[in-house]
Amino acid sequence: MSLNPLLRKVFLVDLFKGMGVTFRNQSENERVTEQYPLERPEIYERFRGQPRLKVNPDNGESLCIVCNLCALACPEQLIVVTGERNPVTKRKYPVKWTYDLSRCMFCGLCAEACSTDALELTQDYEMALYSREGMVLDQEALERGHEPVRYAR
Amino acid sequence: MLDAIKSYLSSNVTPGEAGSMFWATIYVLAITIGVSLAVLSMNWLERKILAHMQIRLGPMRVGPHGLLQPVADALKLLIKEDVIPEGADKLVFWLAPVIVMMAAFTVFIVVPFGRTAAATDMNIGILFMLGVSSLGVLGVITGGWASNSHYPLMGALRSGAQMVSYEVAMGLAIISAVLMTSLNATGTGALSMIGIVQSQASQHTWFVFKMFPLGLIAFVIFAIAMVAETNRAPFDLPEAESELVAGFMTEYSGFRWSLFFLGEYTAMLAVSSIAVTLWLGGWLRPFPNWLSGSAWDFAFSLVPGLTFFVLAAMCFAGTARMPRIPQLKAQSIGLAGFGAILGAVGLLLLVPGVRERSQDVFWFAAKVAVFMYLYIWYRGTFPRYRFDQLMKVGWKILLPVSLGLLIVTAIVGVRQELWAALTGVTR
Repeated sequence: MSLNPLLRKVFLVDLFKGMGVTFRNQSENERVTEQYPLERPEIYERFRGQPRLKVNPDNGESLCIVCNLCALACPEQLIVVTGERNPVTKRKYPVKWTYDLSRCMFCGLCAEACSTDALELTQDYEMALYSREGMVLDQEALERGHEPVRYAR
Repeated sequence: MLDAIKSYLSSNVTPGEAGSMFWATIYVLAITIGVSLAVLSMNWLERKILAHMQIRLGPMRVGPHGLLQPVADALKLLIKEDVIPEGADKLVFWLAPVIVMMAAFTVFIVVPFGRTAAATDMNIGILFMLGVSSLGVLGVITGGWASNSHYPLMGALRSGAQMVSYEVAMGLAIISAVLMTSLNATGTGALSMIGIVQSQASQHTWFVFKMFPLGLIAFVIFAIAMVAETNRAPFDLPEAESELVAGFMTEYSGFRWSLFFLGEYTAMLAVSSIAVTLWLGGWLRPFPNWLSGSAWDFAFSLVPGLTFFVLAAMCFAGTARMPRIPQLKAQSIGLAGFGAILGAVGLLLLVPGVRERSQDVFWFAAKVAVFMYLYIWYRGTFPRYRFDQLMKVGWKILLPVSLGLLIVTAIVGVRQELWAALTGVTR
C-alpha cells in the first residue's frame, strides 16, 4: 500500500467526507418533503388531471356540440356522449355525458381532439375516492369541476 | 435540620463527602429525573436530526415540530400489551431489562457534573463506572437467552462478543488518561472522577491536548470503542434490522422494551460523560488559559443563560414562520410557550447565585450534548460493519494501538527520570 491511501485510512478521510455530506444535508434548502395537506405542491400548467367541461359564462350553455371526436379519440373508450339538436339554433347540445375516471390514464387526447375546446384536463389532482361509485362523472359533475373529498378530523 | 441543609449549601463538597443522606437523596433524584428528561429529548432530537440528515422532516404532527412525539410514544408504550413468549424463562425475561436499566443509571452516582454536583466522589470512581457499565452486557445476554427464540439469541451473542472485545481497548485508553493524572509534583494520580478533572485543572490542559498527539489518540480510540460499547450505528450489529429483526429486543414489547430503550440511551450518556471527564476537562469551561481573568470568567458564566435565549429565539422564529392557518394555531401557541419557558430558564440562569452554581453543570452537559450529536451523526452517515470487520477493528487495530499508546504514554511521562537513569546522572 502506498503512502497516500494509507494516510487516508489512518486519518479516516473518507469517513469525514461522508459526515460532511450528511451535515450539509441538514440545511433547509436541501429539504424536499412537503407537509401535504398544509403545504401544496406547485402544479405545472401542462399537468393533466381532473377533466372539466366548460360552459359559456354568458348564458351557462355547454360549449360541447356533441361532435363525438373525444369519444373517438379516447384509447380507453371511456367517454360516451349523446345529444340532441336544438330546433331553433340548429346547435347540438349534450343530453348524456359519461366520463369514467376510474379507467382514465390522463393521456389528454380527448382534450386535444375537442373541436370547441369544451373539454379540458385541469391541474387538480386530488381525485382519490373510497369506492368506484363516484368515479363515473356525468355532465353536471364535469361542469361543476373539481370537488375533493374533505376529511373531518 | 434547616441548619444542616444550609451548612451543606455553603460548603464546597459533594453530599457523599459531607456524609449528608438528605442531600445525597436529593441529588440522586435530581440526576434520575435529569437523565430521564435527557433521554426523552434525545429521542426527539435523534429523530429530527436524523431526518434532516436524510433530507426528511421527521415528526411534525404531534405538537409543534413534533415536540410532544416522545411523550406520545412513551404513552403508547405504557398502554401497549405486555407480551411474554410462552417458551420464555419468565423470571430471567423479566429481570433482563431491569439489569440493563439499573446498570446504566447506577453509573451516574459518580459522574461529576460539577465540583459539588455529583452524588459522591468515589476514590475508585472510574473503575466503578467501567465495572458497572459493563454489567449492562449481562442484561443483554440474559434478555436474549430468556426469549427462547433464534434472533434474540444471535443478537445477544453478538452483543456479548462485541461489548467484551471493545471493553479491552476502552480500558487501555482510559488507563493512559489515568497515567496522565499522575504527572504532577507528588507523582500520584487519581482514579476518582472529580480528582481526574481537578488534575486537568491543575495541569492547565485538557487531556486531549496533553502530550500531543498521545492524548488525542487515546481519545479517538475511546470515542470509537464507546460507540461499539453502546451498540450504536455503525456498530449496531446486535440489533441489525436487516439480519436479526431487532436482536435481543425482538421478543420485548411495551414497557419492558421501553426499559431497554431507556437503558441504551442512558448508557450512551454515561460513556459520553466518561469521555468528557477524562479528556475534555469535565465541568471546566473552554479556553481556561487563553481567555483567563475575571472578565472572561464573568463572560463565560453568562453563556448558559445566553444559550437558552438563543434556543428561545429559535422557537419564536419557528412560531413566526408557521403557516397562518387555523389548524396550526394551537401548535403556534405551543411553540411560543415552549420558547417562553426556555427564555425563563435562561433568565433564571443569569441570576448571580444560580449562575455560579449552575455553570459547571452547563458546561458538562454541553460537552455531553456534543457527543450525543456525534452519535446521531454517525448513525446518519455510516453503513453498518460486518461482524468480522467489527472484530478485526476491535482486536487487530484498536487493541494494539491502545496497548502501544499506553507504553508510549508511560515512557514519555517519565522521560526525564528515564534519561537521568540512562546517563547515570542522579537527580
